[in-house]
Amino acid sequence: MSPQHGSQPIQHQFNPYSDNGGTLLGIAGEDFAILASDTRQSVDYSINTRLSHKIKVISPPVTKEMKLESTDIVGTKNSVLFGTNGFSADGDALTKAFEENWKWYVHDQNSNVETGFEFLNENNEEKESFMSMQSAARNVQHLLYGKRFFPYYVHTILAGLDEEGKGCVYSFDPVGSYEREQCRVGGAGASLIMPFLDNQVNFKNQYIPGTNSTERRKIEYLSLDECLKLVKDAFTSVTERHITVGDGLEIFIIDKNGVRSEYHALKKD
Amino acid sequence: MNHDPYSWGRPSDAMYGQYNNAIANAPNTLEHHSSGSNFNENTTRPIVTGTSVIAIKYKTGVVIAADNLASYGSLLRFQGIERLHKVGKTTVVGISGDVSDMQHLLTILDQLEMENNYDNDEYSDNVDELQPSYIFEYLANLMYHRRSKMNPLWNALIVSGVDSKTGKPFLEYVNLLGVKYASPSIATGFGSHLAIPLLRKLADSEEEAAELTLEQAKKGIKDSMKVLFYRDTRSSKNYSLAVIDKDTGIAYDNNVDVEDMSWKFAKDITGYGTQRV
Amino acid sequence: MLSEFADKLQQNENVLQREAFGNDFKGMDNLAGNNKFQKLAPTIEMAPVSNPAEFLRAHTDDSKNPDCAIKIAHGTTTLAFRFQGGIIVAVDSRATAGQWIASQTVNKVIRINPFLLGTLAGGAADCQYWETWLGTQCRLYELRNKERITVAAASKILGNLVYEYKGAGLSMGTMVCGYTKKEGPSIYYVDSDGTRLKGDLFCVGSGQTFAYGVLDSNYKWDLSVEEALYLGKRSILAAAHRDAYSGGSINLYHVTENGWIYHGNHDVDKIFWETKESEKSFNNVIG
Repeated sequence: MSPQHGSQPIQHQFNPYSDNGGTLLGIAGEDFAILASDTRQSVDYSINTRLSHKIKVISPPVTKEMKLESTDIVGTKNSVLFGTNGFSADGDALTKAFEENWKWYVHDQNSNVETGFEFLNENNEEKESFMSMQSAARNVQHLLYGKRFFPYYVHTILAGLDEEGKGCVYSFDPVGSYEREQCRVGGAGASLIMPFLDNQVNFKNQYIPGTNSTERRKIEYLSLDECLKLVKDAFTSVTERHITVGDGLEIFIIDKNGVRSEYHALKKD
Repeated sequence: MNHDPYSWGRPSDAMYGQYNNAIANAPNTLEHHSSGSNFNENTTRPIVTGTSVIAIKYKTGVVIAADNLASYGSLLRFQGIERLHKVGKTTVVGISGDVSDMQHLLTILDQLEMENNYDNDEYSDNVDELQPSYIFEYLANLMYHRRSKMNPLWNALIVSGVDSKTGKPFLEYVNLLGVKYASPSIATGFGSHLAIPLLRKLADSEEEAAELTLEQAKKGIKDSMKVLFYRDTRSSKNYSLAVIDKDTGIAYDNNVDVEDMSWKFAKDITGYGTQRV
Repeated sequence: MLSEFADKLQQNENVLQREAFGNDFKGMDNLAGNNKFQKLAPTIEMAPVSNPAEFLRAHTDDSKNPDCAIKIAHGTTTLAFRFQGGIIVAVDSRATAGQWIASQTVNKVIRINPFLLGTLAGGAADCQYWETWLGTQCRLYELRNKERITVAAASKILGNLVYEYKGAGLSMGTMVCGYTKKEGPSIYYVDSDGTRLKGDLFCVGSGQTFAYGVLDSNYKWDLSVEEALYLGKRSILAAAHRDAYSGGSINLYHVTENGWIYHGNHDVDKIFWETKESEKSFNNVIG
């Protein structure tokens, strides 16, 4: 009998999910990609913490030489920026699972049985055969679909550089359907920011003035500065209108020089 | 275990499934018979529970507190149940929620500590003591694993301490779902509504917490425990308080009482229960 | 009974693995490192509750509970038909999660191999995942038998697979389209109930009725390739116009004896006005 007296036992089923709010945003440029998220973690109407990390930089070791060029570097150009949004426990578990897969893949690709575990090719040059974004995305699909009947409650976005060095963003639904896109917003702020980005990144519904809405504005890549402006405007705006978004904004930028990160304060109310 | 006076000591449905009236031709009047299952049930609700645990970081360590009460529903059933536990040399784990699950966690933490001691005595080459971060990682994985088996440990845990290598204060939370986070101040249960605003006023960021003195932190925790005793009906006056400092180690007091109370505000509260005025 | 179901899945998994690796493959339980990637399909985990299908539904069925936490992306109008010149495949590109348009740029035709196409309607992940899986099965068949798999056999692999999962909560309505010397152009409809039908003409998805309306009234076996491509595109356009869950753009394919040919991506907004202008149709719309 339950501690509640005098009433019928309440049918109580354990709910293994919760919603920890927040927003995740990825934009691909011509030779760079951006993945950004707010740093608030909440549940119902409570803010758990003002500084949580929804994005993980999964990177080969950053060498001293790279540090010399730029001190704020947190990953190499072969990194995968891995972001999850939704139920944070599932997000953390998925990130961990992918990171393990990524590490094994790198070891298996680079290790040479003849010469031990040196990362060298036949010309004695450093070999760069890390996991491509395409492979990373397919692996994430398998991880997500592996729980098709007990899903990870997460919206996942990957950002990085493709094999030609072009910026790329892959987005996933909770059970692993995925697509490569120019930009994508996931989580609580998706319905607020995504239409804005459709207009500003893909120039949706923009026509050349004087053509009576017949000639569309041609799509062109945005510069890094333009993208960063969009990201900041998107997050400050969604912070104004969504209760689970705020506190801080963490931006990761990947280009041929590696991964840099930026932090900006957001409103804390 | 069923603590209802009438049912005391009798087999519980949670353990044995619903009583089958058909076998002994018992009349079907005593209990409502739902389409009961004969499955062995997991913890689907907490039974004997501990209320909030609260903690805050300061310059050189962490202060953590929890009262010494285990409730059975609204019945304040067991006093003197300590819910802060020392693990290793620089960690204190505070546990709220189901007490039987808490005791299971303690068994596991004991084993963890023992295992670590085998490899890390004075004769070892590489001493690697249990750090708060190790203990937290272990517990967080355990909690998520159990939720994924749909057999959760019905608790919210706060792991507090200092890293004995770096001297950095450590404070993180994990609950029955496996949701985890770090913050300069953390509270479970009712404390997340009542204590957190008071503690965040002291330190809202890591930077501010790094400026906080032990006295300020301790006062913040004590004031919060007072407010919780005022407003949380499942709390007790008697509580435990631990300070984990990088220089002085763990100072643990299991017998602190809420002090300087004023119930003057109580007379202004009307509209509850049988009160007419 | 449900654990029986899970056991069955596990056994099925083992059969698939044995087929892929030969009977002497051991140690599938202890996968680490590279082996992980040699495994074709992971063991799919079920919620450890007495009724996993009920559990899944409670958390993902946005038609019964619009507030459910996990909204799975759904895809929507697809069609394929046989005619004298081969097969036309046309699909829209909208994915919805509840009322939310999750994407306007979904690729709903999966290129199983240069001779086989699969369409995607229902759960986007289910179709994407199992049709790429089907691709690997078809390739393995080729390697084992030194000849290309027939459309009948390929669709049956998929049909058998989804039937194994019947009742677990998969949602897919798909057409496997292809050309082999033995069969000529053929279309098989396969859905998650386990239904597998051979036919000349199918429309699948929430916009199917609108597409059927246009397709049925204009379809002839003797259509020229150009006419057939236009009809496919025009039928999806009708569905995109009237069905809220269809839209975005149209992807067009023509399957011939030399494999499939892609006939481009057509923005619905753009071709709608063009069609209205050239056909003098859609007169209900002012503009």
